[in-house]
Amino acid sequence: MKKRGIGVGVSFYGTGYGNGFPDISRAIVRLLPGGRVGIYCGVTEVGQGAKTAMIQIGAETLGLTEKDIDLIHEDTSLMPDSGTAAATRQTYNTGNAIKVACENMRKELFEKAKIELELNSTAGLVLENGEVVLSFFPQKRISFKRLSEIYKDEIIEAGGEFVAQTTTMDPETGQGAPYWPYTFNACAVEVEVDTNTGIVDLLRAVFAQDAGRAVNPHLLEGQMDGGFAMALGYALFEDLKLENGAMKNNKFSKYLIPTAMDMIDVEKIIIEDPENTAPYGAKGIGEPVMIPIAPAILNAIYNAIGIRITELPVTPENLMKAIREAEANKQN
Amino acid sequence: MDIKKVYNSKSVEEVIDILGEYGEKAKVIAGGTDIVIALNNNAIEPELLIDISKLEELKGIKVDKEFITIGSATTFTEIVESEIIDNNLYGLHKACKMVGSPQIRNKGTIGGNIANGSPAADSVPPLIALGGIVTLKSIEGTREVLLEDYYYNPIKEKELLLNIKFERPKDNQILTFAKLGLRKALAISRLTLSSFIEFDDNNTISFIRVASGALAKFPMREKELEDYLLGKILEKEIIEGAIEALRNSMDERLKGRSTLPYKRIAISTILREILEEALAFEEGVKAW
Repeated sequence: MKKRGIGVGVSFYGTGYGNGFPDISRAIVRLLPGGRVGIYCGVTEVGQGAKTAMIQIGAETLGLTEKDIDLIHEDTSLMPDSGTAAATRQTYNTGNAIKVACENMRKELFEKAKIELELNSTAGLVLENGEVVLSFFPQKRISFKRLSEIYKDEIIEAGGEFVAQTTTMDPETGQGAPYWPYTFNACAVEVEVDTNTGIVDLLRAVFAQDAGRAVNPHLLEGQMDGGFAMALGYALFEDLKLENGAMKNNKFSKYLIPTAMDMIDVEKIIIEDPENTAPYGAKGIGEPVMIPIAPAILNAIYNAIGIRITELPVTPENLMKAIREAEANKQN
Repeated sequence: MDIKKVYNSKSVEEVIDILGEYGEKAKVIAGGTDIVIALNNNAIEPELLIDISKLEELKGIKVDKEFITIGSATTFTEIVESEIIDNNLYGLHKACKMVGSPQIRNKGTIGGNIANGSPAADSVPPLIALGGIVTLKSIEGTREVLLEDYYYNPIKEKELLLNIKFERPKDNQILTFAKLGLRKALAISRLTLSSFIEFDDNNTISFIRVASGALAKFPMREKELEDYLLGKILEKEIIEGAIEALRNSMDERLKGRSTLPYKRIAISTILREILEEALAFEEGVKAW
């Protein structure tokens, strides 16, 4: 028999290393020949879109387009350390370091413009499309390109650093506030459970994710789809089948992950409630996007057939076993 | 892997001659979706590969007065796209469409699906249900064998599988298929069933063949189930009885197997699907 059910999962997640652990990101910004701007930063692209989002944060701060910026990263001989691409920390921590470095760079550019434009002060200077401009008398302006020519031997650059604020837990009681800031999400799914085959079919999913501010909404939606698909595999498919410590499902013909045919079109909602310590309000969402999915699916299975599943994955055979056990318990 | 040569063969006659000469040292390759994996795992170690994928003689679907003949090097995609394999042959279309993924269906062939001998081969149960006849050729001659008997006397070293043929179905005959896989693509079948049913004017089953996959060492007829259904009208309680009949056969055949408790329950969904599809056809409501 096919039975339908709805389930909801929610989560909150503390980003960063937490628990008072030193969590530092650094960046250097440099004016390059031709007036381009280089951001030197140890941020690692692992498919999450750091390469795009970090450039966007720099571009926003320097009044440039993404095309005017080169991100030089992933080569430790060329750039300062920005910590790991882990703990959902790059957007918040490294995003902050890049923003600080770009703000410092803006001051450097203003100082050089003051000299070249023969001004009394840097007050009233603004950045506009690759030029430093005096806001109330815009004829007074100098391009990044011109500055890079004048200062070709004396490189214009600035650094930036962000140290995350976390506190340690009380080692005796485990109490305290070890993480900050937090990000929140919620997911609801509708499933159809075939009680003869144990196959759980996803019919519908709605997924809301708090991001503080979405630096790049398309990338964010991609992360949400990716987290959902990964969690779908974790909830319903992926089984190592450990027997006496040996992995029995040691190839992808046995260790099943969802295919495009198993994934569904998830309705995604981005919640923007800017975090005031974050770069333009943006918090990381990398790990959180996976967390509420399996609970939502398990709750939906419970809603459909009245059985609480406490072990993953809910493969068809495992679910049929749970159904048989529940029926046996009912009879006793 | 120690392959010395790959023949890009020009004709069936040439392939037969080469097979005759090299015997066990040679392996025929068409789509390679099974054989390349076997080669990589060193499960087979031929000196010679004979590529038959470009042999027009072995490709395509031909229809004459009595038979429909599918060449062994015909791909699943070609079958899925064929207008011949449709309507009351829908079960074969459906089975071929559920094989692997688009990439595998583009390369994999019906002859390979038979010759590889997997118990879970998706296209085989519908071909058994159709009463399919396999033609094999070697330098010693040509033999024809019913597909349901083929697994007792499978392809020999020097043989080439030429084609599979079956009688053209009549308007009151319908082929259906259902598969249980653990995900929606690229899943090895856990259970498959296919039925070929003829209804008489009173909606009674006047002829039936049912074949299963992954319920034995190889795909096979389910005769206890056929005996139960022959002469009956497909009503609700008859379908329930059919499920019990098939479970009896499974209990005997798969006794002691760890997969039996799951399969004997899951089979009800698959059997119900093929019988209900047949019923929908009989009632003129095309489910597809």
